[in-house]
Amino acid sequence: MISLEDVTVAFDGFTAISNVDLRVEQGEFVTIVGPSGCGKTTLLRTIGGLEEPTSGRVRIDGRSPEAAQTNADIGFVFQQHTLFPWKSALENVTFLRKTAGNAPEADAARALLRSMGLEGFEDARPKELSGGMKQRVSIARALHLDADVLLMDEPFGELDEITRDELGVEIRDLWRRERKTVVFVTHSVPEAVFLADRCLVMCGQPGRIEATFDVDLPEPREEDVFGTRSFQEQVAQVRQTLHENYA
Amino acid sequence: MRSRHLAIVGDVVYPAVALAIGLLCWWAVAALGNVPSFVLPSPTAVGSQLLENSALYAENAIRTLEKVVYGGSVGVLAGFVLAVLVAYLPWFRTAVYPSLVAVRVLPKLAIAPLLLIYLGTGTTTAVVFIALITFFPLVLNTAAGLDRASSAHHELLRSVDAGFLERVWFVDLPYALPDVFAGLKQSVTLAVVGAVVAEWVIADDGLGFLVLIGSENVRPDVMLAALVVLLLEGIALYGGIVLAQRGVQQWLGFGSTGRR
Repeated sequence: MISLEDVTVAFDGFTAISNVDLRVEQGEFVTIVGPSGCGKTTLLRTIGGLEEPTSGRVRIDGRSPEAAQTNADIGFVFQQHTLFPWKSALENVTFLRKTAGNAPEADAARALLRSMGLEGFEDARPKELSGGMKQRVSIARALHLDADVLLMDEPFGELDEITRDELGVEIRDLWRRERKTVVFVTHSVPEAVFLADRCLVMCGQPGRIEATFDVDLPEPREEDVFGTRSFQEQVAQVRQTLHENYA
Repeated sequence: MRSRHLAIVGDVVYPAVALAIGLLCWWAVAALGNVPSFVLPSPTAVGSQLLENSALYAENAIRTLEKVVYGGSVGVLAGFVLAVLVAYLPWFRTAVYPSLVAVRVLPKLAIAPLLLIYLGTGTTTAVVFIALITFFPLVLNTAAGLDRASSAHHELLRSVDAGFLERVWFVDLPYALPDVFAGLKQSVTLAVVGAVVAEWVIADDGLGFLVLIGSENVRPDVMLAALVVLLLEGIALYGGIVLAQRGVQQWLGFGSTGRR
């Protein structure tokens, strides 16, 4: 479980997020959507301990983010894949777990790559993989940590729309199987609605959570959800809230 | 496959033919052009000079190699340490980096006579001189290389509470490798140039010294023979760096194409 109490993050006279309260339950999938510069990435980085709150408190299962980092309880996926070009896909997956101080399990890593549709690419270098495949590897790398919390910062931001949709379906499916606690930042409204149990709308500046939507969509969520009336109505609602608060 | 074999054969045959034509032209000008041998000795004269005095050339080749290896090692090690300080201590970088970049335009060979005053003649002075000139390319290339990894890579490691040393070892150094080797290649080339200059100005042995003696005695055959040995030595040293780079990068898992 993730909890933020009255969190403010300021850099040299600029307040990125102000007085944010948030609770994310164990096994919940929360998306944060908002325009560029609304502080959504700062919020995610603060949860993950990459930024220090100026005031307020962040807790992950009752501990500080730093303690959670030490325990390899946080799996980050960044917008850039951050794979090491000199390592194979498999080595990239096991490397982070090793660095986190846990024994890498090559079989488990292979199985993860297989489940992400990368069977046969275990020994490929990043330059031999497409953008979508690289991002799949970096998701597998985060999962291989066995962290309870997955923090994803616009992980599909550099991919084409079709690949984004495909990966969205895969991520939601993966979450159904693994029940991680996920916080997923995006500026794509359909993506935010499709993936979420709960979708937070952020606005700036300084960044705050403007509205919360409990998403109601059938499970399992497949591609056909995109075409349903219910999905489109919820997307329209979120979009309207975003535009009403656009600074 | 067939065309590939042909391409490889071509890679060997073409340069070999070009070299043979070059030697033939040299021989033709020297032998048929009626040029006196104290102006341009024929390739065969240079060859027999080499063979007849092989001990002399081998001995002096080793003297030169010693200077290059000792001086180069000191310069490269010092350069590496300084590059690490520049890369990881911001105040040190601010203080030192501008001077390092500025000194880059100075022709380092011009320091040699100064060293002669401070340290006198001898091998030690030559070693110091070579250390000085090999130091600069390594510092600048390595410092730039250690800066190459993105902050996202560093944050990935921070997100699992990896320490500073892990970051340097697993991320920064592998990213810097191509630059370190680029620096090494420049350093080794300069080291050979530096050894020759040192042997002219400060030392009294080595292949550079043979060139000097040959010049004073109007013996171009001696000079050319020394130059041939110098050339082979330079190629061997450079080739050693290339092989080392290939080995290290293959061990790390870089593709055979080398750079990232």
